[in-house]
Amino acid sequence: MDREAFIVAELQQGRITQETLELVSFARGYAGGRLPAVLLTGRNIGEQAAELSEKTGCAIYQIQGDHLEVYSLEAYCAAIAEVVSERPSALVILPHSSMGSDLAPRLAVKMEAACITAVETVQGKTFIRSVCSGRYTAEIVPIAQSVVITVLPGACPPHTPESCPPGPITKVQATPRPGRTRILGIKEPLHRDSAVKEAEVIVSAGRGVGKKENLSLIRELAAFFPHSAVGASRPLCDMGWLEYGRQIGSTGQTVTPKLYIACGISGAIQHVAGIRGAQLVVAINTDPEAAIFRISHFCIVEDLTTFIPVLLEELKKG
Amino acid sequence: MKILVCIKQVPDSSETLELNPSTGWITYNPFTVFRMNRFDEYALEEALQLREQDPGTSVHALSVGPERVSSTLRRAMEMGSDCGVHLLMQQDEYISPVTVASAIASYARTRGYDLIITGVMAEDDMACMTGQLVAAILDLPSATSVIRVDHRTHDGSLEVDREIEGGTRISLLMDLPAVITVQSGINIPRYPSLSNVLRARSQPLELVRIEDLDIVPVRESCSGVKSPDSSIQGVYIDGTLREKALWLKELLHERAFLP
Ligand SMILES: Cc1cc2nc3c(=O)[nH]c(=O)nc-3n(C[C@H](O)[C@H](O)[C@H](O)COP(=O)(O)OP(=O)(O)OC[C@H]3O[C@@H](n4cnc5c(N)ncnc54)[C@H](O)[C@@H]3O)c2cc1C
Ligand SMILES: Nc1ncnc2c1ncn2[C@@H]1O[C@H](COP(=O)(O)O)[C@@H](O)[C@H]1O
Repeated sequence: MDREAFIVAELQQGRITQETLELVSFARGYAGGRLPAVLLTGRNIGEQAAELSEKTGCAIYQIQGDHLEVYSLEAYCAAIAEVVSERPSALVILPHSSMGSDLAPRLAVKMEAACITAVETVQGKTFIRSVCSGRYTAEIVPIAQSVVITVLPGACPPHTPESCPPGPITKVQATPRPGRTRILGIKEPLHRDSAVKEAEVIVSAGRGVGKKENLSLIRELAAFFPHSAVGASRPLCDMGWLEYGRQIGSTGQTVTPKLYIACGISGAIQHVAGIRGAQLVVAINTDPEAAIFRISHFCIVEDLTTFIPVLLEELKKG
Repeated sequence: MKILVCIKQVPDSSETLELNPSTGWITYNPFTVFRMNRFDEYALEEALQLREQDPGTSVHALSVGPERVSSTLRRAMEMGSDCGVHLLMQQDEYISPVTVASAIASYARTRGYDLIITGVMAEDDMACMTGQLVAAILDLPSATSVIRVDHRTHDGSLEVDREIEGGTRISLLMDLPAVITVQSGINIPRYPSLSNVLRARSQPLELVRIEDLDIVPVRESCSGVKSPDSSIQGVYIDGTLREKALWLKELLHERAFLP
């Protein structure tokens, strides 16, 4: 069965995200090169709709409404469902972002569709996703007529504009309905540490450091490099071992150092999302199959509590 | 308030898992240790804190799975949940989140919960959708990745902060009943107290067979689980511990990271 592909575009500060263009590539891969239709939701989005139509050649549904200015589950779900729920067989593709994760399951229930999240690739009609901290990949096959998926950011190269005729734009006016949730406001994070943002070398600690005292090893190693900073995976910040300003990842900071040394970090997708811009990644982990090694250039299978002291000893010799 | 906390039992470490070629699914070996999904510890703690603020509150812990999950429900009671509900499902292979969510929804539907709390993600299947599915099936409002909860007793609504990309927070006001999925770091989960440990030992779990619940037909299946493609891997450094340290030192000099 051939499913009609739709992607749900995401805007950030009014700009079309990179992930949106990645979804276009993903959809083309699924549909043998055919372009998906794009669902663009928002308030004043004429400009973005035109840009997407020109850049991708995709047909655009410009779904507008004053109540769609910022993302809200109820409003976005209703607006998108208005376009897609009539289709007998649809594939709706969202980014695996906070919006996509929030929205995809509800949309799927509404459409009686299969819901598959954090998809990395598609082979034929089988969707591949990681499970168990990336140790395994599961192959998921939809049974239902329609499917709603979220695709992992970075899993696909972004669509590159080619000379193509701009896609048609269909305007849809969404009607606001009374909701049961109300947005009160948006707060920027209190703690964002510019040190990790600007560092050329980041030495990052994960749960594998085991004890808070072992952080001194991480600090000592970082201190060997001229423009360096200590980073962390989320659990260390949750435990209060390091400030949230040092958290690297999708809900922390996105960093672009020349060198990233991951110590005792498993390589969860949300962590890796923050270091895609690192030029060189070295990982130290006791588990030879840790997912971090799949995105590292150099892999050191050792216990960091014995390895780093020896490394420090050698570095001190100059 | 009546709160239902959904708790998943997960293998402690993925290192003891194996692939079963005949079922095409992950199997657990005798060394596999199970524990509570970490995100669910935060979910449970948040419920317990809501109960502390509003003493009329009751907190029920629920888990879907085979016999072994009862130990994790005991743990939830040791941490302080008032009772444990075990939705018994023998299958130990791929279980669709829709099956789990519809079991939870079916159990909760007639029991008047004001708030259903799940973790944001199960560490094993990493689906990030069960809570949202429960909300959608029950047609309740929901909020994901919640990092702050405030029950406004004057009007009975719930004020929450959702965490999105980069740590930005969206504040929402929700009508109850509702479903929230809790993100790590929202609180510091407590350890069991002695009195709760003793109580949990003698208190029976409520057992409900999945066959007696209203389960939505599955909409997807798992055709297999594989080890990831080993060609996408970095270079593993060989040698003794010291040789590896020397090799790394060399690399750092070579690439001019060190003077
Ligand atoms: C919506 C959402 C957003 C998230 N955002 C982020 C984010 O921004 N950043 C983030 O980091 N996480 C984030 N997470 C959490 C993420 O899913 C993982 O739980 C987290 O990254 C795991 O951290 P870790 O690698 O330190 O711990 P673990 O996964 O527990 O890994 C510890 C590693 O240390 C190794 N190890 C153990 N002992 C040693 C030793 N002695 N020497 C060497 N290695 C050792 C182990 O083999 C293991 O690989 C998010 C999760 C969700 C659901
Ligand atoms: N088998 C289960 N029993 C109880 N709760 C579950 C189960 N599976 C998932 N959950 C809940 O749903 C959350 C998200 O899980 P998932 O959608 O599988 O990533 C978990 O943190 C749990 O709170």
